[in-house]
Amino acid sequence: MKIFKSIKWRLQLWYGLILVVVLAGFGFTAYQLERNRQFGRIDQELHRRLNVLANALHRPPPRRLDQGFFRPPPDQMPDEAPPIRQENRPQPEFRLPPEAAQLFGTNDSNGFYFHITSGTENDRHEIARSENYQKPKAVIQFDHFFDQLNHADLPPEKRPAKLKSMDYQDERITADILPSGELIEVGCSIAPELNELRHTALNLAAVGSLILLVGLTGGWWFVGCALWPVSAISTTAAKISAGDLSQRINVADAESELGQLAAILNSTFARLETAFAQQKQFASDAAHELRTPVTVILTQTQMALARERDAAGYKQTVEACQRAAQRMRKLIESLLELARFDAGQEILKRMKFDFAKMISDSTELVQTLADERGVKIMAELDALEVTGDPERLSQVVTNLLTNAIQYNQPSGEVRVKLESQTGLAVLKIADTGQGIAPEDLPRVFERFYRADKSRTGAGNAGLGLSICKAIVEAHGGTMEVASKQNVGTTFTVRLPV
Amino acid sequence: MRILIVEDEPDLLASLAQALREEGYAVDTADNGDDGLFNAEGTDYDAIVLDVMLPGIDGWEILKRLRKTKKTPVLMLTARDQTRDRVKGLDTGADDYVVKPFDLEEVFARLRAVIRRSANKTTNLIEIGDVQIDTAARNVLFKEKPVELTAREYSLVEFMALHRGEVVTRTQLYEHLFDENDTTMSNLLDVHVSNVRKKLGAEFIVTRRGHGYCIE
Repeated sequence: MKIFKSIKWRLQLWYGLILVVVLAGFGFTAYQLERNRQFGRIDQELHRRLNVLANALHRPPPRRLDQGFFRPPPDQMPDEAPPIRQENRPQPEFRLPPEAAQLFGTNDSNGFYFHITSGTENDRHEIARSENYQKPKAVIQFDHFFDQLNHADLPPEKRPAKLKSMDYQDERITADILPSGELIEVGCSIAPELNELRHTALNLAAVGSLILLVGLTGGWWFVGCALWPVSAISTTAAKISAGDLSQRINVADAESELGQLAAILNSTFARLETAFAQQKQFASDAAHELRTPVTVILTQTQMALARERDAAGYKQTVEACQRAAQRMRKLIESLLELARFDAGQEILKRMKFDFAKMISDSTELVQTLADERGVKIMAELDALEVTGDPERLSQVVTNLLTNAIQYNQPSGEVRVKLESQTGLAVLKIADTGQGIAPEDLPRVFERFYRADKSRTGAGNAGLGLSICKAIVEAHGGTMEVASKQNVGTTFTVRLPV
Repeated sequence: MRILIVEDEPDLLASLAQALREEGYAVDTADNGDDGLFNAEGTDYDAIVLDVMLPGIDGWEILKRLRKTKKTPVLMLTARDQTRDRVKGLDTGADDYVVKPFDLEEVFARLRAVIRRSANKTTNLIEIGDVQIDTAARNVLFKEKPVELTAREYSLVEFMALHRGEVVTRTQLYEHLFDENDTTMSNLLDVHVSNVRKKLGAEFIVTRRGHGYCIE
């Protein structure tokens, strides 16, 4: 059943069960204690009367409830003490003293009654009875008293310490056989006590039910409160999976376990949203970069086709289209390169090579550009070997050098420095250009980000530094930029040796 | 009709300029923001085609500064087609925008529309007496018969028709019919005017001596 799969219901069922068991245990114990107290009191009364009757019969020393009969030691026993169950023993005369008679009822059926007989088990004759004794009301079950009746001839110290009582319908009866053979029965009605116990039981049940109800209600509320964040989390997660990434879980109780979970989920959602936004921005930027060359192709071809042209006219159009296509190809290659780095699919060669030599080769490569702009390249290279993909790293160095020349001032300088620092190859390429504005600096490695908002030349889509960073990081290195406006910019590449 | 194109992508600038010239417009070009603003402020263009992303001053800034002095219709070229970009353009004072990549036909149509609106006309058809001018098809009917006009003659007719009832000076005509690359002879305008009168009737363009010309 579905209801038993729910944590709330299972919790409710579990502590409901425990509560019922505990309450029932307490209730039962309380009832038993009360019952024992009531019956103990009645038994005490019964035994007191039994002793009074026994005294009245022979006036032996009173039997104490907790010690059984007290008898004088055997040597002090009177000689004429009759042997037990002597057949033709004279019948003792029975006179109930008035103070003892008060202990028994007369016509009152609620009062105590007694019945004294003598003789054998099968042939008993009555010695005395109280006025309210009614035979059918109580039938002594001798089996029940068997122990104590059969012990009648034992010495008192061996007799059971306590007399038994028995219940018959709503009567409570006790019986004893005196050493002289008389059987004394004392009984009373326990209807009021039973009534009272029934009341107690009902009270206990009522109180127990009330506690159970309060417990279950409180528990339901508390479990509901405790589990509320779970439903909040699942609602939010559902909205997010439906596409609304701006949703967050409302964390009311940050200290609880679920609150911590919600906080963790929220930070996960935030990162997801950022990643999604970046992805969206990336796609939109890529589309945007493709728009201009496509526009060139469209306008060029539409213009060319609008009327007849001479060969030179068509050639012009085709050349313009080619330039646009080249630009798109370069952009697409860069995008694919980045995508491969993102997916970790770019396979890098792992070989040891002379980093210093590679840098000086790259410097020669950009020398023509530097000469055009009158920029001087100054290299200070320590001999160093690194492990990695020489072509990729050469791409990084060339790109950084080209940037340093292009964004330099006329007749500026580019300083290239390679040195070893604590197991790292550190390459610094510094220019003396106008620098990057502080607000742009943290974003220079972002894809499609150009500090200069306009295109500075076809093909410069703002992906170069992103690719450089991806290459360096794929080698386990880091790339940083520092810049001071009107002083220059320094790019630092750190590679593990 | 004289138009300024401000666009930094050389191939796009060249093809737009050539296409618009072939449509009969006089076209000036600028490939950066500073030149673009200088031209736009210095000459009364009939319309400006303005790219948003430009080296130097960007398109928004040009528009903002230009609107302080001139009401020239501006058609923005933008690579961003998000609503907020369009709203920004229109709010800054652009008359219309075209999103890259675009078709030349669309640029032509939008240009005609902004020029027409700036002359307070609602349709492409202008009727003056027996003369009907269709500015979309760029043809002229005289007594319900098509008239062959050269591109420059048509431009003269269209410009005069859009300024019907006003006296148009020779300087104005020079400014709007010839671009900065034309090395015009001073009497070339008179030749065009007399040709138009031959084709559309002598009374079509009235000469106001010492002032200029007028279509009544």
